[in-house]
Amino acid sequence: MEKMDVVIVGAGLAGLAAAYCLADEGLEILVAEKGDFPGSKNVTGGRIYLNPVRDLFPDLWDEAPLERHVVRERLTMMAETSSTSVELMSNRFDQEPYHSYTVLRAKFDRWLGDKVAEKGAFVIPKSKVDDLVFQDGRVAGIVADGDEIYADVVVAADGVLSLMAEKAGLRKEQEPKHYAVSVKEVIELSRQTIEDRFNLEGDQGLAQLFFGALTQGMMGGGFLYTNLESVSLGLVVGIEALMEKEPKLEVHQMMEDFKQRSEIRPLIAGGEVAEYSAHVITEGGLHAIPKLFGDSILVVGDAAGFGLNMLMTVRGMEYALASGAMAAQAIKRAREQNDFSAASLSYYEQLIKDSFIYKELQTFSHVLSFMENPRLFNLYPQVFCDLFEKLMWIDEQPKQKMSTTVLQELRGNLLNMDTIRDGLNFLKI
Amino acid sequence: MNIIVCMKQIPDLQQIRIKERKPVLEGAPLIFGDMDKNALEEAVRIKEKVGEGKITALALGPAKLKDGIKEALAIGADEAVLLLDPAFAGSDSVATANALAKAIQKVGEYDLILCGEGSTDNYPGQVGPRLAEMLDPPQITYVRELEIADGKIKAVRNMEESFEVVEADLPALVTVANEINEPRLASLRQILQAARKPVQTWTPADLGLAEDEVGGKGVAIEVLSNLAPEEARKQVVLTGELDEMIDKLVDSLTKEGVLGR
Repeated sequence: MEKMDVVIVGAGLAGLAAAYCLADEGLEILVAEKGDFPGSKNVTGGRIYLNPVRDLFPDLWDEAPLERHVVRERLTMMAETSSTSVELMSNRFDQEPYHSYTVLRAKFDRWLGDKVAEKGAFVIPKSKVDDLVFQDGRVAGIVADGDEIYADVVVAADGVLSLMAEKAGLRKEQEPKHYAVSVKEVIELSRQTIEDRFNLEGDQGLAQLFFGALTQGMMGGGFLYTNLESVSLGLVVGIEALMEKEPKLEVHQMMEDFKQRSEIRPLIAGGEVAEYSAHVITEGGLHAIPKLFGDSILVVGDAAGFGLNMLMTVRGMEYALASGAMAAQAIKRAREQNDFSAASLSYYEQLIKDSFIYKELQTFSHVLSFMENPRLFNLYPQVFCDLFEKLMWIDEQPKQKMSTTVLQELRGNLLNMDTIRDGLNFLKI
Repeated sequence: MNIIVCMKQIPDLQQIRIKERKPVLEGAPLIFGDMDKNALEEAVRIKEKVGEGKITALALGPAKLKDGIKEALAIGADEAVLLLDPAFAGSDSVATANALAKAIQKVGEYDLILCGEGSTDNYPGQVGPRLAEMLDPPQITYVRELEIADGKIKAVRNMEESFEVVEADLPALVTVANEINEPRLASLRQILQAARKPVQTWTPADLGLAEDEVGGKGVAIEVLSNLAPEEARKQVVLTGELDEMIDKLVDSLTKEGVLGR
């Protein structure tokens, strides 16, 4: 059979975004997805930020199956048997156009896949791409189930552990410290229950991030996002930390313990687990980006390492959508010149480097080393919560001055070089 | 060799959730019934054996079928005829058979009509026999093995305690059982090529049917309710000495059929 114009490996956000942008040009596009349907193998916490990508897909957002727009942001520091939270409730976040929405990937990606198929691209699920076809040293197509499908250009959108980037020789060896694993449950609760428990009205939503005792001393954190009729709850743990932990801890057990915490249990009481998933997350930022292009090949989304932990929040989905759109732009240009060589496709890297994606990865490039500090998860949350507890506790003994209590706690735990150094590190993030 | 294969899509039973005893069908992907796939597979094998022929996949269903039928084209149907009009919605076996019969008449000459012996959702198993009554070819049902030679078909039927071997002249209508073959999977390349195969869509008017003869208006059966069985816990508490309780437990489980007979 004749050649496809573009083969995109993976129907996640990056792959589908690229296909969506290319489909208008009358091209023969194949998006090969290994899952049963686009979205079946995709996981997010999670929430999508629209402002960076709204204009890339102007006609999509009105119809898109998004969950709740976030108006409450909660950050929770967890100690062994206590926690302290800070919450922002913003009326500004409640004004249209909303800047972020919680999202369910099985719904969203599937819908986007249908949109792409409507535009004429082939979105074919249950197709696992095993290898690339090479001709004269350059990528010439893909191999799926023994079938060779040729194309002018291949887009590697196959996610965080990208086999295609590896096969194309674009990726160096992956280090465990650049990756984390996440376990997530989608727990169904009625709309009313969600609105009552989280103080929300209508389609308002809450996003909550946790750090501290829940990851048992390991780098990581937890999250809770409210969807229209369910809650996404999960935790994330660094893979290297898991490898080094003695005695070994199983992530799914950590998730069970998290759900049992007194802060969490009442929030999900009476809910039914509708979805249980796990996924690897890229945490390496700039340090883990592969080469983004080669002869007849581009790398987008998670496959390109475009994910970022910004501490106050996490980014990935907008990066995927934007990088897909940029790949499409580069491919259109390559077609005009009929040149799919690495030199021509390097335009993609240029676009990435000029974009918010790269700029943010650079700005936050110190986050990983900041997060490797065990005191962040063990010491500070415990000290802070203990202090707060002590301040709030009234005994038979007459209460001390506040400043006395504070100084006592801090002197005992925090007056040392480590803390001072940690304080200085704060300036880097 | 002209073969018409009647196919139907149903929600994937593995993906249906029960909420408050009712099945939740939205979100469950649509797939072809197991025996419809057997029927299509048999058609493709016959065509391969005979060396020539045309396989027409015929299906009545919702708009999504336009996408779903590509699987049938990828596996080996040469063309498809779809009855997608919303007027057809709500059809039961009677209304479906009526519409399919008219469609088959419009398709024209055939040597063989293949159907699954029943669809995997409600398993009424009526469409095949009803079509045969309306169109008049000899019908052979519950076929587990068939052979075509010299314008005749020889078929082995699944009877409850035996097999029955039957012969008929073509054209004939056959409903196939699960045992007849192992359906193949379409390759990625076949799926891409399927997009080029012709698909026709016919409305009730194309078939000469009035709006009140099709879909919900043409049914003979009304579904009153569809609920999952109530699963009340038995709440039996056993008391007494440990040995006594063990005996009672084994007794109960044996009575329930959980422990071997």
